[in-house]
Amino acid sequence: MDTQAIIEDYVNKVAAKLPRKLRNDVGLELRTLLTEQLGSAALDAGRLPDSEIAMDVLRRFGQPDEVAARYAPRGFQLIEPEYSPVFVKLATLCVAIQWAVSLPAVLTSRMTLGDWWLRWGFSAFSWVGFLVLWFGISSWIQRRFPTDTVSGIRPWTHWIFWVPFPREWRPGEPEAAEWRAGTNAAPLGAALTIFFIAPAWILGHLLPSGTDTSWALYDDHFQRRLLTPLIALMAVRLVLLAAAALNELRRARTEALRFGLWVCFVALLYWAVFGGRIFAHAITDALFKAWLLIFLLVNTIQILVWIRRVATRVRIQKTLG
Amino acid sequence: MVRTNESSASTLDTELRRGALVLAVLSHLRTAQYGYSLRQALTEQGMPIEEGTLYPLLRRLEAQGLLASDWRIEDGPPRRYYKLNSKGTRLLADLTANWQALVVTMNRLLK
Repeated sequence: MDTQAIIEDYVNKVAAKLPRKLRNDVGLELRTLLTEQLGSAALDAGRLPDSEIAMDVLRRFGQPDEVAARYAPRGFQLIEPEYSPVFVKLATLCVAIQWAVSLPAVLTSRMTLGDWWLRWGFSAFSWVGFLVLWFGISSWIQRRFPTDTVSGIRPWTHWIFWVPFPREWRPGEPEAAEWRAGTNAAPLGAALTIFFIAPAWILGHLLPSGTDTSWALYDDHFQRRLLTPLIALMAVRLVLLAAAALNELRRARTEALRFGLWVCFVALLYWAVFGGRIFAHAITDALFKAWLLIFLLVNTIQILVWIRRVATRVRIQKTLG
Repeated sequence: MVRTNESSASTLDTELRRGALVLAVLSHLRTAQYGYSLRQALTEQGMPIEEGTLYPLLRRLEAQGLLASDWRIEDGPPRRYYKLNSKGTRLLADLTANWQALVVTMNRLLK
């Protein structure tokens, strides 16, 4: 085969993979360069250019796909590496929620498994596509309108397709902030602990005499079984928190104990909410439980965050035994 | 095992050279050059660069606004000539200063 035809074919293969605006210009330049390269290689070989030398030159230059990739403007990642873990978590969560919400229909025999799969099971994966699109657009916006490197301020366009942006690291956070908040809330905690020992009795002394406070009476069963351990846990936790807030060394030493007490306290509260009445009066009971559920939700999230923080903490024992 | 070590050394050597590639190319584009002549000049100076790496690099540097280029027909086929523009000249000065500081530091470290 004619050497020029070999080069021509190679150049065309490369050009076909290039963006339209680069195609002709790069192709023309490549043809000239490769022809000169071929002449030089033939000179080194001490013979006229032939197909063997041409193939050798082109092999060294690279496969047409690779060469085109080197010329073409760099591509971009649909999901940037720093967002990959959160993308995976969100996608898993969305699929899991759709399944969790829809599967009870199968368990209660209102739908067959086959129907469920066709209607809800398989379609849950469309969340993955939706999130790919969302993260992809967000990624494009962040490249097109980058964050100010000096001030670190994000342009408003970043918030249109919001994704959990990596937070700027600051020393001491978030534990220091939590301790500040905890210390500030301690007086309120102490007041609530005292109040919950006997709310009806305390209200009877605070409100004008003759006011009916029976709505604040505990349910007998709750009072006998759960009130004492709950109040005791609240009090012990408060004492430990106060001691830890004042001394950093004590804070580290009592960490496991404080966490254990916190989990016990939350577990007991769950038991109280779902195990029967807390207040004898139905409306008080319902309102208090609604408030308690919000409190429990926040605390459960905080416990999970705490577990994650401790589990990912660097420890010397992990490496050195 | 020996082959693995040789291959690692070769990879590290390539990495080392890659870091200096842009500076080497810019240093030879104070006067206009086309891809093949630039490659020859760099090889003669002891800095051989694979053609498959060099030619796309010239395009990227041009796209970054560091080089100006034009087609010329002189003694031979039409060739695209590249030359530093003002931004490229400033970058070359900066990179040269950084490189010289790095050489001093590395020499001190390698003593």
